[in-house]
Amino acid sequence: MSGVVLKRLGAPEGLARRFLVTCMIVGFGALILATAGAAWVTSRNAEHTRSVNHTYQVEVAIAQLRGMVEQTETARRGYLLTGLPAYLDNQREAVVEIGPIVYDIAKLTADNPRQAVHLADLRRRLADMQQQQENTIGLVLSGKRGEAAVSFTGETSARRLRGIRDTLTAMSAEEHRLLTERDAEQQANIRAFYIILAGAGVLILLVATVSIATVMRYTKDLGAARDRLQLLNTDLEGAVAERTADLTRANDEIQRFAYIVSHDLRSPLVNVMGFTAELDAARASLAELVTRADEAAPGIVTDEARLAATEDLPEAIGFIRGSTQKMDRLINAILKLSREGRRVLTPEPLDLAEVAGGVRDSLYQQAEQRGAEIAVEQPLPDLVSDRVAIEQVLSNLVENAVKYLSPDRAGRITIGGHARGSRRIIEVADNGRGIAPQDHDRVFDLFRRSGQQDQPGEGIGLAHVRALVYRLGGTIDLSSTLGEGSVFRVNLPATLAETGSQP
Amino acid sequence: MNDHRSVSIVMIEDDEGHARLIEKNIRRAGILNDISHFTDGTTALDYLFKHADGPALNGPALVLLDLNLPDMSGTDILTKIKAEGSPLRRTPVVVLTTTDDKIEIQRCYDLGCNVYITKPVNYESFAQAIRQLGLFLSVIQVPEVEG
Repeated sequence: MSGVVLKRLGAPEGLARRFLVTCMIVGFGALILATAGAAWVTSRNAEHTRSVNHTYQVEVAIAQLRGMVEQTETARRGYLLTGLPAYLDNQREAVVEIGPIVYDIAKLTADNPRQAVHLADLRRRLADMQQQQENTIGLVLSGKRGEAAVSFTGETSARRLRGIRDTLTAMSAEEHRLLTERDAEQQANIRAFYIILAGAGVLILLVATVSIATVMRYTKDLGAARDRLQLLNTDLEGAVAERTADLTRANDEIQRFAYIVSHDLRSPLVNVMGFTAELDAARASLAELVTRADEAAPGIVTDEARLAATEDLPEAIGFIRGSTQKMDRLINAILKLSREGRRVLTPEPLDLAEVAGGVRDSLYQQAEQRGAEIAVEQPLPDLVSDRVAIEQVLSNLVENAVKYLSPDRAGRITIGGHARGSRRIIEVADNGRGIAPQDHDRVFDLFRRSGQQDQPGEGIGLAHVRALVYRLGGTIDLSSTLGEGSVFRVNLPATLAETGSQP
Repeated sequence: MNDHRSVSIVMIEDDEGHARLIEKNIRRAGILNDISHFTDGTTALDYLFKHADGPALNGPALVLLDLNLPDMSGTDILTKIKAEGSPLRRTPVVVLTTTDDKIEIQRCYDLGCNVYITKPVNYESFAQAIRQLGLFLSVIQVPEVEG
């Protein structure tokens, strides 16, 4: 019964487990995806920050350059106007600054061909402007300020400066354009990340929901199965009680039947025996007559008549006697069994170890003669049952073990036992000759024996034991391997209910 | 027994074979009293209490009683014989049956049976038991039946 339940539980269990594992894999996959997305976006962010920095560096450099260019031009103009050497110093300082700045810008924008074009243009224009400035300063230094002023008025200095400004502005714009492009890219990246994040979130949420639902359903199923199992268990106990009652009733019936049958069988047996004896007595006188006739008148007795009186009749009578005696033993066995079955059971608290010890002592002599050892395991459980019945069960089992020892080894018989819930298990184990598998049930039947028939007995011991165990509300079974030994296992209720007298 | 002629033996035994074996072995013991044989309880009771030649109306008797009868239990007959006010209450009753159940034996003695014998299945023992019973019968005193 429990096998069916397990099978019914088994299929969804496997399915649910596989499903949950799948869910977990999907969930973890989503988490990994989200993490990878975050890592990617972070790296993109860092790059973006770097490019923004770059742009600002370029812009700062351009602004610096612009400042320097303006300064040189202003200083030149101041020098031209005033001829003061401070202006000249100022111009010289600024000119020195320009070269490194341009170099920086070139380095910063090396990867951009458009900026390279602008830069080339700028360099040309700057060189041009410097050339012009050197001319003016040269003229002033040589005291030709008027010529310098004329040259300044004639030159296209303002236009050239504007050209530089425009180039710088273009470069700045180019950087801005790049920045805007990168911003857009960054925005796209962040959007993608959010989409991935949202997707992973939804997936995790979904997986979690489904997993929880599955687990809850599975738990519910499990609960239901447990309830079913519990119900089954309760039913089982009821079924066992019912079965025991059935067995007891059937056993009682058989006992009554056996009693009646054996009594009624005995009467005709008395006749068979009685008249066989009469027959024998008659035969004896006939045999005597034959002998006398043979002596008195040889030849009057036929060989057949002589043979009948001296051989055939005694042989036939011997067989009738032998069979009747056997039948008598069997009937007596049934009678004994049925009488035992009608004995009133009186439950009392029993110390199983003490009862087993008593059985061991009573069979000590018998075991000693056969070189066997009987051991009582400690501890043994207590139970409330009928002392005489338990003693008979144990002594029958142990006696059987002593009787059917293996000739190959020293006999060892163990009486063991343990409590299992409200049941008491008593085991009688031996290392004897064992019982063939096909005889495991048969040995409990009346008049049935197993294996080599080299021991006296009618085959009632185990039948008697089983009848007793049934009466005690228990069961008996055996496990045995031929040639290795047997274990008889008696399963009894811990407390035998008071049943009152038997009919 | 008091007088071989007057004390009759009433044998209530449903098995013809047993009855024959019992009779033979009693005779072998030298008992010559009349033996009336009944195979069922009803006719036996009728003879015991009502028949003109029966012990209730005609002299002392000894009852050999089997317990397993087709129409009633031997104990019913025993009860009637040994009942208070029965004219046969002092009549010796020998229960001769196959049952050797302790409870049954006790019950029979409680009801007033005088001797309880289990029929041995072994013929030698059976024959011997019956012969000894015959010897026993030959020496016991049987009371007169009250009128």
